[in-house]
Amino acid sequence: MTDNKTRMKPSAANPFFSLLSSQTGYLILVIIAVSVIATILNPRFLSARNIFNVMQQISVLGILTMCMALLMISGNLDISIGNMAGLVGMLFTRMVLSGRPQGIAVITVMILSTVLGLINGLIISKSKTTPLIITLGMSYVYYGISLIISNGRPHSLGGQFEFLGRAKIGPVPITIIIYIVVFALAYLFRKYTTYGRRINAIGGNKEAAFLSGINVDRHIIYLYGISGMITGLAGLVLISRLGMVRADSGSNYALQALAAAIIGGITFEGGRGSLVGAFLGVLLLGIMYNAMNIIGVSSYMQTIFLGAVIVIATVISNIGKIKKQ
Amino acid sequence: MAAATGVESYSEMKEPIIQTINITKSFPGTIALAQFNFELLPGEVHCLIGENGAGKSTFIKILSGVYSPDSGEIIIDNKRYDSLSTQLARGIGIHTVYQDDVLVPHISVAENIYLGSEIMRKRIFMNYRTVYENAEELARHYGIDLDVKEVYENLNPADQQFTKILKTLAQSPKILVLDEPTQVFSINETDLILNIVKKVSATGTGVVYIAHDLDEIIKVAHRVTVLRDGKKVAGHDEGINKLDSTLLAKEMVGRPVELFYKKKKHTIGDIVFEVKNLRLASTSKPIEFSVRKGEILGIAGLKGSGRSAIARSIFGALDRYSGQVIYEGNDITPKNPIEAVRHGLAYLTEDKKANGLFLSMPVDQNITIVGLSSIHRSLIKLKREQDIAGNFISRMKIKTAGLNQEVQYLSGGNQQKVVIAKWLFRDANILIVDEPTHGIDVNAKTEVYELFTELASAGKSIIMISSEMPEIISMSDRVIVIRNCEISKVLSGDDITEHNILAGYLGGTD
Repeated sequence: MTDNKTRMKPSAANPFFSLLSSQTGYLILVIIAVSVIATILNPRFLSARNIFNVMQQISVLGILTMCMALLMISGNLDISIGNMAGLVGMLFTRMVLSGRPQGIAVITVMILSTVLGLINGLIISKSKTTPLIITLGMSYVYYGISLIISNGRPHSLGGQFEFLGRAKIGPVPITIIIYIVVFALAYLFRKYTTYGRRINAIGGNKEAAFLSGINVDRHIIYLYGISGMITGLAGLVLISRLGMVRADSGSNYALQALAAAIIGGITFEGGRGSLVGAFLGVLLLGIMYNAMNIIGVSSYMQTIFLGAVIVIATVISNIGKIKKQ
Repeated sequence: MAAATGVESYSEMKEPIIQTINITKSFPGTIALAQFNFELLPGEVHCLIGENGAGKSTFIKILSGVYSPDSGEIIIDNKRYDSLSTQLARGIGIHTVYQDDVLVPHISVAENIYLGSEIMRKRIFMNYRTVYENAEELARHYGIDLDVKEVYENLNPADQQFTKILKTLAQSPKILVLDEPTQVFSINETDLILNIVKKVSATGTGVVYIAHDLDEIIKVAHRVTVLRDGKKVAGHDEGINKLDSTLLAKEMVGRPVELFYKKKKHTIGDIVFEVKNLRLASTSKPIEFSVRKGEILGIAGLKGSGRSAIARSIFGALDRYSGQVIYEGNDITPKNPIEAVRHGLAYLTEDKKANGLFLSMPVDQNITIVGLSSIHRSLIKLKREQDIAGNFISRMKIKTAGLNQEVQYLSGGNQQKVVIAKWLFRDANILIVDEPTHGIDVNAKTEVYELFTELASAGKSIIMISSEMPEIISMSDRVIVIRNCEISKVLSGDDITEHNILAGYLGGTD
């Protein structure tokens, strides 16, 4: 029964198709195609300034997508990271506005977000419940806390803490550098550390990981903690870029990060997927947005297009599987 | 055909309701069924017996349309078929109760019985009253005391089994196929099943009955066919009353010697590993055994005998009531697999795809996953990892397109070698292997046996759980036979014979 499947190997007869069959390959092609079209319609698209602009716009989403991607590779996910980032921003703003030193506020919110991540991991692994529901619930809790500490009103930093969001090293905005560093560290973590390898194994086969003597619960809890810490960083970048914060400032990010990871070829089943793919997934979303802005597509239409991209990309990434059956 | 004749008169109706001629079915590496002839008369109870892997299950899957035979014919009502589909089999009236059938857990017994053939009122609404009444009537007719309104998952295993059988009987089968229906039963319950079988056959339904318990078969069968390694080795259709279980048991075993792997002898050291007072539940008898350095201890047991539960509980992967595990004189009783691995134990699971391998990960990463600490300083040395994996691949002759081939694309035998390599890399000293050659072809089997022999002579101790007789007999230095989560026999040397192991399975006392 299973023999047909086990004997089949991924074919690589045609180099074009083999490029298409790898998620990163086809994402690169799509990104190039979108860029070419956008450049033809408006040459300004390819300017260095615009490219930095795109990168800066996707930095928060990009950082959060790394959290989501690592969690998904381990067979988990966390849709509370958006509101967690929002809560971090709100708490930071309140602390700074009430006269606390920025350094203390940064440390406080980073510790807080790490602890929140650990709590998510603890609940999910010890109660053996579905991450989707647990983190959905936690997402509301964070949003509610943000509402309480903000009294439901937006808060402006009044020009403080602009450094992270607006400063540049040479021509490169710091946000982009932070994003690239987070990506590089996540990549190293996944590929070169025993921890990352075991996370991958747990996502691939939890039972086999358990029987191989891997402490499944501990690895998952720590991963949620790491994800929380990175989310704290994303929250700080977010507030620094916006200069103001509302209770729902982070709300949209979690599902967008999920979408970007899936476009990048990471699956709900876990155990596989590349962080480069997730990186490209974020880039594609950013470029689409930017291209539509430059071309002058209305923001209502943009929403439709983005939704369609998510659907189409997911369908395309599954074509390989359809053929196998 | 529908005439309700008595049990005694079945043979007067000569026309078989189903007949198979020269049915052959092979799977990669094994011939599951070879030139098999079979017939079933109306009202007849035809028993199939044989060990695990003898071809019984393959045959009933062909009858119920799950498998298509490679060659041969099935004749039903003078019509010839090359193969049946599941719909066709049902249409003809062939209904099968499998060992591991699953019903819907949280609806009632009666709803389960009529699931798929619901009794409706005005074609929209379920007619619950009729459903309950009919189910109750059905149960009463077959002499089963069952609360049909009870939720299925709340039933004990025996009542669940009765529900499955009743569900099948509600279809008024022309041919009823029962695959080891009494496995979960006590003696009284077994008699109930046997009565059902007699009652059903009395109405003209033909019954194909598979069982391990020979005494049970003698009570109910009109005809017995003995299968061994896919071939019919004996048939008894007359004088069934005089048939005794010793004869049948003899016919089931007795293989030619070529089938046995010839293991090289090597010296065996002192006791290194002991299991003491292991009880899975408070009511079970304690299990105790020891293993010497370089020894292969065979644990023979049929599916459901508790053999894998024992292995898991030794490894700390399953809760136990009591028990100590002793390695080189120290109590190392592992609380979980993490501790077991740390103390040099390895557990190679029966279903390697479900819980032994990381199918989406490449070969090299599968091999190194339990021993990562030995190839990293601050980061994993990928070059070192590839060298090590490459070594295992050439030493163990693992056929793979490359180190980064995902293991899901490897054949079963090569997957098994990857699992073994994984534990060798960890340098485990006590290997618990559960059905190590299940589902792999003959050549790969021999290679696995050679590997085990080599490991044992290098001083590793192997606890080998298997239900394959030739494997147990040819590989083991000693054998313990497990039945109902208890040790029923301990065999060594020349006492390791098919006959003695079978006696252990069946609980015989000779």
